[in-house]
Amino acid sequence: MSHPESAGIDPRGPRFTAGITAVLLLVVAVLGFGGAALAAWVLLAALSALFAWAAFAGVRRHPFGLLFKRFVRPRLAPPEELEDPRPPTFAQGVGFAVTVVGVILGAAGLTLAVPIAASFAFIAAFLNAVFGYCLGCQLYLLLVRARVIPRT
Amino acid sequence: MDWLTALLAAVALPAGAAAIGLVWKARTGRVRAATDDLATRDLGLAGDALGVSATLVQFSTEYCSRCPATARQLASIAGDYPGVRHVEVDLTHRPEVADRFHVLQTPTTLILDGGGALTARIAGVPRAHDVRDRLDELTGRSRVPS
Repeated sequence: MSHPESAGIDPRGPRFTAGITAVLLLVVAVLGFGGAALAAWVLLAALSALFAWAAFAGVRRHPFGLLFKRFVRPRLAPPEELEDPRPPTFAQGVGFAVTVVGVILGAAGLTLAVPIAASFAFIAAFLNAVFGYCLGCQLYLLLVRARVIPRT
Repeated sequence: MDWLTALLAAVALPAGAAAIGLVWKARTGRVRAATDDLATRDLGLAGDALGVSATLVQFSTEYCSRCPATARQLASIAGDYPGVRHVEVDLTHRPEVADRFHVLQTPTTLILDGGGALTARIAGVPRAHDVRDRLDELTGRSRVPS
């Protein structure tokens, strides 16, 4: 028997997560473009690890999502409906792919790659948090059609 | 620390992202005219899957968080019209169909006429009012002011 709690997630959880992530990515971009290369790199590496964790362990185990569940959700009315966790988990994977490129190039000495990667990830997280933009809706088929994601 | 560049990034990035979001919001979900007489055949839809007057064919994937709500919205609109049906096609494991219909995002909705020919398509979450306008045309129903 599947518990309703495990069948879906509160759709406001991923948006809460995206909001915090967007702020932190903006901090990376501001630090990076401002010349604080090491601080920017360290923070982006941490965010990239967080994206990887959520993408591979599932978005339900995202620390910000747990924060939402513990402290924010009890103060809100129950959601009208629960959502499939796969779309936000996919979005976390895209976030990881983008930020890890910045981390690797940054480690190789291309310091500007760090704030540039953070900027792209920031735009996606901001659009998700503010406009409800869903990367899985916009990007999944494109990546499959471009053969970036293998066809099943 | 180069404070001017940092400040510029702090202002320009949120402003730019907000501008992108507003443009996206203004463009998404609009009904656009399209034609394709072989749509039904290439969708693999049997004749009895089609509505007598019109069919709303919704493309979804498993990674699309807006698709379930869109399916409910379109099914409810179709329910208001006798002769209009809503069909959902999951493209997660059918990329060749996505290629055939040039689907770039989900949900994407095709509006077929009574003969099964494509008349319009919608990229993104459809605007209910626009869908009803189109169905009014296809079903020959005059608008009931509400």
